Amino acid sequence: MSSEKQKLLRRLQATRFAVIEINLYLDSHPTCSEGLKYFRSKSEELKKLTEEYQEKYGPLCAADSKAENYWDWVSTAFPWERGES
Amino acid sequence: MWKYEKTLEYPVNIKNPDPALAKVILAQLGGPDGEVGAATRYLNQRYAIPCRQVQGILTDIGTEELAHSEIVSAIIYQLTRNLTPKQIVESGFDAYFVNHTTGIYPADANGMGFTADYIQSTGDPIADLHEDLAAEQKARLSYDNILRLTDDPDVRDPIKFLREREIVHFQRFGEGLRMITDQLDAKNFYAFNPSFDGAKKK
Repeated sequence: MSSEKQKLLRRLQATRFAVIEINLYLDSHPTCSEGLKYFRSKSEELKKLTEEYQEKYGPLCAADSKAENYWDWVSTAFPWERGES
Repeated sequence: MWKYEKTLEYPVNIKNPDPALAKVILAQLGGPDGEVGAATRYLNQRYAIPCRQVQGILTDIGTEELAHSEIVSAIIYQLTRNLTPKQIVESGFDAYFVNHTTGIYPADANGMGFTADYIQSTGDPIADLHEDLAAEQKARLSYDNILRLTDDPDVRDPIKFLREREIVHFQRFGEGLRMITDQLDAKNFYAFNPSFDGAKKK
């Protein structure tokens, strides 16, 4: 994996982790306005990073594929391979 | 329903194969306190939960446990790459190898296959949430024990992440239990099962 790709993936993973964590927190604190604000900001950031990543390196979710000539979902590595996560 | 995303929740990039360590870490895939059991436990218990917030907690933590089973599997997979027959015998990985080669099979460290007997789904939210709290502590201590057995930073890093998640999940389950008891008779939480007796009362 190129260092540029990995850098973007790390940002995406960190942001997605923030979204996972605030989601769980909000499950038990659904009226926390600070938490809701944090969720909105991180989930917006995640959306942008996901779009940027998928545009450059192919789909993270099969449903997001924009493939025309070749089904790109199966042309990029799965993440359990060393260097691919 | 679920959507698969083609990245790990936390990265796993292991340089040095170590089949003996892989065998130990298998405990956290298909062992009694492993991630397959955790996901199966929470995702099955959800239906008997009487309040939406706790239904959300079980759904979201159960979903995260699926992602954790993928992390543990990736660790085992990368620890068992490019092994020679000599390494397999000397590391004690041979007993696993003879049945599964280097495929990923949900078993414990002794090779005992995963069984739903490890988990409960009682239909009683108080009992289930207490099991869930205990499950998170048992998983946490299993990760502590794994950390006692390896110096490899490539392995310790994702194991430490998984260990931390157990602590956060324990916290959320504690809040879930409080939400459910808050809706019950404070003088006797066990007077009735809100998921069963509550429905009959209406």
